[in-house]
Amino acid sequence: MAGNFWQSSHFQQWVLDPPELFKNRQADLNVLTEDGYQKIMIFFANFIQSLGEQLKLRQQVIATATIYFKRFYSRNSLKCIDPWLMAPTCVFLASKVEEFGVISNTRLISTCQAVVKNKFSHAHPLEYPYRINLVLECEFYLLEMMDCCLVLYHPYRPLTEYFKELQQDESLFPLAWRIVNDSLRTDVCLTYPPYLISLACLHIACVIQQKDLRQWLAECNVDMDKILEISRQILALYELWKSYDEKKEIAAILEKMPKPNTSPTPTSAQDGSQQSQSVQ
Amino acid sequence: MQKYEKLEKIGEGTYGTVFKAKNRDTHEVVALKRVRLDDDDEGVPSSALREICLLKELKHKNIVRLHDVLHSEKKLTLVFEYCDQDLKKYFDSCNGEIDQDTVQSFLYQLLRGLAFCHSNNVLHRDLKPQNLLINKNGELKLADFGLARAFGIPVRFYSAEVVTLWYRPPDVLFGAKMYSTSIDMWSAGCIFAELANAGRPLFPGNDVDDQLKRIFKLLSTPTDDTWPGMSQLPEYKPFPLYQVTTIWQQVVPKLSAKGRDLLQRLLVCNPPGRLSAEEGLQHAYFQDLDPAVKNDSNVLSHGR
Repeated sequence: MAGNFWQSSHFQQWVLDPPELFKNRQADLNVLTEDGYQKIMIFFANFIQSLGEQLKLRQQVIATATIYFKRFYSRNSLKCIDPWLMAPTCVFLASKVEEFGVISNTRLISTCQAVVKNKFSHAHPLEYPYRINLVLECEFYLLEMMDCCLVLYHPYRPLTEYFKELQQDESLFPLAWRIVNDSLRTDVCLTYPPYLISLACLHIACVIQQKDLRQWLAECNVDMDKILEISRQILALYELWKSYDEKKEIAAILEKMPKPNTSPTPTSAQDGSQQSQSVQ
Repeated sequence: MQKYEKLEKIGEGTYGTVFKAKNRDTHEVVALKRVRLDDDDEGVPSSALREICLLKELKHKNIVRLHDVLHSEKKLTLVFEYCDQDLKKYFDSCNGEIDQDTVQSFLYQLLRGLAFCHSNNVLHRDLKPQNLLINKNGELKLADFGLARAFGIPVRFYSAEVVTLWYRPPDVLFGAKMYSTSIDMWSAGCIFAELANAGRPLFPGNDVDDQLKRIFKLLSTPTDDTWPGMSQLPEYKPFPLYQVTTIWQQVVPKLSAKGRDLLQRLLVCNPPGRLSAEEGLQHAYFQDLDPAVKNDSNVLSHGR
């Protein structure tokens, strides 16, 4: 649905305050560096993206899943629920909410196994351990933690609208779209309304293509400081990527990640009650 | 769950049992809808998720309010505002008599709730008297959004969906896959006629064929001229060309001329020809509407 953003649960409950976000992260930041934390979040956003692509989901469904994931950990430590379990759960829930249809149990788990084996063995050398009963249980916690706020607004739609209005070169649009995708690897989707994110992404795309958007932005009557802050965070991501080789480094970072007390093995994963103790 | 004391079972919804209950602290009476999770396949059922999603966003006086979602061991319970009865039960208690001011008030509220849904890009898709709740102040609220969805998405009617045919428009009966707000406007028209006749359904068809026959006998069989593209619909089949001289005064004898005009503008076979909810609210039929109904007052001078 695309109703009124200003009356949505997204705006009213889920545009978070950056200091609060930082505070909620403290438990994890006692163990991980800020840089390490961000790399973990980037890594799992990539994992969700791969699952989504493998399942042939639309980008909007993948974006929804990614934001569910970030919402959960915005209020919980990484050790509450293993992100390897949370990631497919978010994909499962998002595809139902976005009316893509239900992904069958076997397909979801087999996709996890295939993606981990083929693309993420550098980070997860063992077989993917979780079974569907845990995904369904995890879905429950995810719903509760989000206070059932499931409808999300993404920057894609406003981006399309703004682009129509701008009448710029066609090549600008796919570039701005990709920057929106990249913005899901930062905190901006938790802390700013989507229309501002789409403007910031357009802004960056224009800078890259050496087009001047300032006049148009000024006429948009938006808070330029916010646009610049969003841009700064996205550019910081690009800066990080320049000197970061995820394939080489992520295993060591994941090693340090806070983990649930009862780390499930393939056998204990069958037992739902054991997992639930490690939750919350 | 200790927060609520269950009082009595009030029905079966699309995906679970509904109970009347009382908040132990505030004594507020609510309706609890228990979501069954017995089907281990799907997790939280899509229909329940859809209802939760939409009602979390749609807050309006003519849409049933979702107060809370309770999580307990493998169970979800949706906490709704309580309404005394649905329109179907209201009809049963009418004994064939209904005040025309009440008809006007209910239809106005139905259209207002629909206009709000539609402005938020949500279709209800399953409007019928059982899904319209009435409280003791004479307020009407749209409920049961289990089949509602955001529009623009092609949908298949699942075979398991036992949706009553009586309120389904001819385009859907012919298998149309793309819906728009017009689907709800047809249903609103059928409900309007039923209201005016104190609960006698307008098109009580037994199956798809019978349903279409009843519609065409009243409105005359459409042609590709009056309804462009009709014969291209997936399940189209030709019907006899009923030549109709409907005397609407006989169909809805109690309804005023303006009411009859509004009714005929809703019951249009060609979907784009139907009035929108917003247009319906502006219709002359509502000219003499009680201002208390129009202006959000909670107390209606005439309920029952």
